[in-house]
Amino acid sequence: VKRPPLELTTVRVREIAEGADTRWQGDGVLQIDPDALAALARAGGDEVTVSVEIVRPGDAVRLVHVLDAVEPSAKPEAPETTFPGITGEIAAAGIGRTVRLDGVAVLALADLDATHPEAMRERQLDGDGVIDMDGPAAFCTPWSGTVNVVLTFHANPEVELTAIDRAIRWGTLAVARTLALAAADAEPDEIDVIDLPAVSDTLPAVCVILQVASEGPLVDTYLYGRPMEGTVPTLLDPRELLDGALVNGAFDWAAIRNPTYFYQRSGLILGLLREHGTRLRFAGVVIALAYLSSATEKARAAMQSVVLAQQLGADAAIVTAFSSGNSHTDVMLAVRACERAGIRTVALLCETNGGLTDHVAEADAIISVGNEDELAPGWAPERVVGGRMLRAGWEASEGTALPFRSYLGANSQLGDTRLRAAVA
Amino acid sequence: MRAVHYLNQFFAGLGGEEAAMSAPARLDGAVGPGRGLGLEIAATLACGDDYFALNEDAAVAQLLAWIAELAPDVLVCGPAFGSGRYGYACGVVAREAGRLGVPVVAGMYPENPGVLAAEGSAFIVPTSVGVSGMRDALARMGPLARRIGEGEQLGSAEDEGYLASHQRRNEVAAATGAERAIEMVLAKLAGETTTEVAPEPADVPPPAPVDASGVLFALVSEAGCVPQGNPDRLPHHRASTWLRYSLDGVRTLSAEGYETVHGGFDQTAANLDPNRLVPLDAVRALEDEGRIGRLHPFLYTTTGNGTATATAARLGQEIAHDLQQSGVEAVLLTGT
Repeated sequence: VKRPPLELTTVRVREIAEGADTRWQGDGVLQIDPDALAALARAGGDEVTVSVEIVRPGDAVRLVHVLDAVEPSAKPEAPETTFPGITGEIAAAGIGRTVRLDGVAVLALADLDATHPEAMRERQLDGDGVIDMDGPAAFCTPWSGTVNVVLTFHANPEVELTAIDRAIRWGTLAVARTLALAAADAEPDEIDVIDLPAVSDTLPAVCVILQVASEGPLVDTYLYGRPMEGTVPTLLDPRELLDGALVNGAFDWAAIRNPTYFYQRSGLILGLLREHGTRLRFAGVVIALAYLSSATEKARAAMQSVVLAQQLGADAAIVTAFSSGNSHTDVMLAVRACERAGIRTVALLCETNGGLTDHVAEADAIISVGNEDELAPGWAPERVVGGRMLRAGWEASEGTALPFRSYLGANSQLGDTRLRAAVA
Repeated sequence: MRAVHYLNQFFAGLGGEEAAMSAPARLDGAVGPGRGLGLEIAATLACGDDYFALNEDAAVAQLLAWIAELAPDVLVCGPAFGSGRYGYACGVVAREAGRLGVPVVAGMYPENPGVLAAEGSAFIVPTSVGVSGMRDALARMGPLARRIGEGEQLGSAEDEGYLASHQRRNEVAAATGAERAIEMVLAKLAGETTTEVAPEPADVPPPAPVDASGVLFALVSEAGCVPQGNPDRLPHHRASTWLRYSLDGVRTLSAEGYETVHGGFDQTAANLDPNRLVPLDAVRALEDEGRIGRLHPFLYTTTGNGTATATAARLGQEIAHDLQQSGVEAVLLTGT
């Protein structure tokens, strides 16, 4: 029995206005009630309070301590299933109608170093999470180009981080769902029925091996609401990925993690779906844990990823990385295992100063998504949202240059940005 | 277009070795080789090779102050040929001027240490090792400097004949990583394999085991093991240097005396007994038993965490060079 298609209904948002309630005004304008959204995001608990503001492209604003970016998205026929496992009850994602707002992002900000200094020191979360809405580094992060509903979460220092983390994720996704539902009846700009029909088996079959990290609270990836830590590689329908089954909960190394927004509108998945039946057959997605702690675990995950790719009948695999250093070994092992099984590979990897942290001979086709350690041009914003101090150790309002790795999504190893490193 | 030229004491006409302690000097117009560059040189800055080597901070401060004041469109350094001290000074001046935003052209023999010292901040024209290549060097440096000074974007190192910096810099590609990946995989399936990263470094075969009795033996580690308090601020990741600490009279790495700053693993157990990072206790026992000759009295340490393979190779070469100079014949290399 064939799986029903995903019907992606896109509504383009040109502007967001503040008003007495949250509703679609028409003509590309979404009206929001910031106080009501702040109350919703707080969810009535004592973990966090929330400030809501709208930040636009070209504003002289720097957003700091950005944890995640989410595209407003909802299941209008069954709103209670949106982001299943987190804000929604368990239901298969990727089936039926989804309304999504293009040109908008919900951004979650929280300066946990300020509220939980000791616990954060223990966790050694690395790197800043920055978005410049203007200035010479704005180009490197996609959310300098979207109208953003910025949720600044003020964590209660009395509540432990695991509960804060959970509250932030729930609040962010609840706001994303509410915004999309407000536009559920708007005239759509685009309707994309994603059906994945059977196509000629003479076309080469290409799968994606999507690696994620999941190491505990603040550094997790959630599949249907459960951290992936401890799981074995598994198969996902590409449409599940686009429809909220996978949610980011990893808040270190901003440029090279995958914000939820990148899963929801993955250029890699959408590109392969577009080519399905023309130049290739999109065989499916293997989602595999990486950033694993031992050689045995890494080898096991690589081996099981290949077994799944073989079950999909893949001739080739595109392997994506999550974070760098340690996790690039997981990519290299998956590449080697695939190539030894006759499955041709392409990997997407960021570079550090000096190149790759691991490299095997079989990895002969690599997309460079840029050098994460290069300094981006400095900029002194007029206003900072999300906190005062950067993890780098200086005031966020200073014009001191930050490395690209501090900018959210700048070196997207899912392939959603354009940076590339080349010999200068 | 305004150029400024940097020379050492010899080429600036201040004197030979006897003038090597000359402090920085500022001379009007072109001097010596500068006359052969074909550029409008506003000033020539000069410094004695030994003065620069012994007073680097003071020399750089003075030279940079003049460069900032002169605000040239381009700075030309050398050519320094194979001269190590002169080349190093050219490289450092180039790096610092580059950080001020001044474009720099230098000339050096490719193996001159100044090439590394420039850290990619200069367009370095490769020259002969000796001064016999002066005419050729000036003929290539001058036109290159003019084009850069006039704001022209240069082509690749290969096309233009300057040394590749080997620095991997960000550029904005025409297509996203995902779009490029799909094209790359289709091309590879069609038999055309391409890549966007530097080629994989060649595997280095491990050396044959040695009989350790009687040899000078050293401890080297990437475990981030340092004296308590991390006095030299070894980074917890992406280290670009290595450090050396005396083990003279040290029998064991106590928790009071040593710690790890490595950011890639849970440090708790290691900090309870730093010998488990670098097994000094066990090696001292072997030394007492005569199973190894003698322990080299230094610990070589760095942090191997997020280090690019090329950087790691350089650190290894530098450490190996130092070990060889000391006559070390065997190494215990502990990793984490």
